[in-house]
Amino acid sequence: MAFMELRDVVCRYGRHVVLNEVSLAVEAGAFCCLLGPSGCGKTTLLRLVGGYIQPEFGTISLDGQNVTGWPPEKRGIGMVFQNYALFPHLSARENVGFGLEARGVPAAERRRRVEEMLDRIRLAPGERGRKPRELSGGQQQRVALARALVIEPKLLLLDEPLANLDRHLRERMRDELRELQRRTGVTTILVTHDQEEALSLATQIAVMLNGRILQVGAPRELYERPRIPAIARLLGDANVLRVAEARDGSLFLECGLTLGSDGLACPPGAEILFRPERVLVGPAASAHPHQARGILNGLSFMGADQIFDIGLAQGGSLKVRAAPDVLPSARIGDEVSVAVDAANAWVIPEPDPDWVATSPEEEAHGAA
Amino acid sequence: MAPHKPSSPLQALVLAAPALALLLFFFLVPALLLGRVSLYEGGGQSGFGIGGSFYKPGTWSLHAYRDLLTDGYFRSILAFTLKFCVAEALVTVAIAYPMAFLISRMPGKWKLAAVAVVTLPKLANVLVVIYGLKLLMGTTGMVNQFLQAFGLSAAPVDLLHNLTGTMVAETYLILPYAVLILIVTLDRIDPSLAQAARGLGAGPWRTFWRVTFPLSMPGVALVFFLSLIFAFGAFVSPHLMGSPEELTIAVDVQKQTFENLNWPRGAAEAVIMLATLIVIALVWQALTLASKRARRET
Repeated sequence: MAFMELRDVVCRYGRHVVLNEVSLAVEAGAFCCLLGPSGCGKTTLLRLVGGYIQPEFGTISLDGQNVTGWPPEKRGIGMVFQNYALFPHLSARENVGFGLEARGVPAAERRRRVEEMLDRIRLAPGERGRKPRELSGGQQQRVALARALVIEPKLLLLDEPLANLDRHLRERMRDELRELQRRTGVTTILVTHDQEEALSLATQIAVMLNGRILQVGAPRELYERPRIPAIARLLGDANVLRVAEARDGSLFLECGLTLGSDGLACPPGAEILFRPERVLVGPAASAHPHQARGILNGLSFMGADQIFDIGLAQGGSLKVRAAPDVLPSARIGDEVSVAVDAANAWVIPEPDPDWVATSPEEEAHGAA
Repeated sequence: MAPHKPSSPLQALVLAAPALALLLFFFLVPALLLGRVSLYEGGGQSGFGIGGSFYKPGTWSLHAYRDLLTDGYFRSILAFTLKFCVAEALVTVAIAYPMAFLISRMPGKWKLAAVAVVTLPKLANVLVVIYGLKLLMGTTGMVNQFLQAFGLSAAPVDLLHNLTGTMVAETYLILPYAVLILIVTLDRIDPSLAQAARGLGAGPWRTFWRVTFPLSMPGVALVFFLSLIFAFGAFVSPHLMGSPEELTIAVDVQKQTFENLNWPRGAAEAVIMLATLIVIALVWQALTLASKRARRET
């Protein structure tokens, strides 16, 4: 049995099914990211693990014990809330010491462990007596993390911990978070809607949509071999194109592109994924046996790379990510060549099920 | 925060003028008149009404105040009023807090209903409410029937025309405000704070005393001072539900003015009441400022 395991968990708010027979296993020491759009039920799942809400059906086990129905204080789980939920009337030091106090840890040991933890998150000694509102966003975030970690939890739950930070700080905190998790080795579940965050932090990603877990796997696996098109799109920019015909060792796509079909078993009507960075453009494509011509509809130069939006003859369009020195003098309206290596394409095994395509309003209706 | 537009003092004055005029006319002017009346010599033959011995016109005297300060009768009334209002404030907080706590945790529909029930007494006339209480609490009233039916008391308990009756009635009159203020206070506390405390290993009890209660202190203090001020001016409940033992200053003002026809004395008592209320308000103000400063400094 895995360290943390959910089995067939169902959760409803009124008639709205927030979690629909969800099962998930997280191994000890893993960093699991729950990734999905807002309203997909990921926060509800996290709260369920923490014991803040109880499932209607299903079981939750932790460290070999069935903890279904246990109140949060019995579970020994550390949680960092999205708004940090620091106690506004207590200092940073008292906030971190709260969990130890509740556990009846003697004052001397408590003080030692609190200071140690605050050293670890690098909060300056002069700032430790301050109230949360006198700390910066990044400091608050670190104090919340310290408060959750100091109790040496069996499991660390993080609810969009980086969402309230500006971009620069977010990237730094992401590195710190990864480092802290690696050093403490605490099993962690993080909720996010940011695929970059999930890909860069997780050892295991669980993709959620409309109250279900659709696919669980390592970041690379999910990115390269998604089960359905919706997952492909959730994990980053994706060209998902339909196969029109397979003939003479070639795949003809509806958009007009052709691929060598060596090694790709693919019936007509199937969908093929290739990531923008896998599409060849310009001189590299011209030399390719299966090149196609397209019109440059959009171009954004990002410094480290550039994104081309290329319209194809049959009406489809391709997103292409290329190195900054490719087609340096290209202008919108130019004709360019594109090509894809069959080795870099992934035939998506299943089409999107009907329930994936619900309206965004309905999705937003669930717990954010 | 709302956008702040700089305005000149004159603009501010113009904007505040209607409110200021109202305050001036309906509070300051009567208060000054009251002050003047308290400085007449008593026992004159002027004014109106039968016998007309309200005060001696055209005199200036501190007679009324001297009488009050040397008079054991008034001092006992003042002492009772102060004790009464402090006790009332404590009782109100003690009853309103658990009520507000329960209501703030109710699901939406129930909460609305509960708030309606709590505010209902305020929609009825005070006298109707008090006479209703009299019916309930009389020797043959529902409360006594209940006590006897369950064998909690052999004989009817006197609940009216004593301190119990007065306290019950006064609490009943203040409670809706207190509960509403505390519901708002508790609702404004981020629920994730209590959850965080639970997650860190604190049971419901520790969570309440270490997190919820300290965070609700501003509301508790407000309710305490508000009840203090209400109860200090209590008139209806001691007048209708109490006995001559439960004599508050407000009741005595009425007695001096309309029964003893001693206007200077009644006015002097009213002035002392007003002064005490101003002192309470200043203490409240000082405490609020001090706690704000403490919050900024730490």
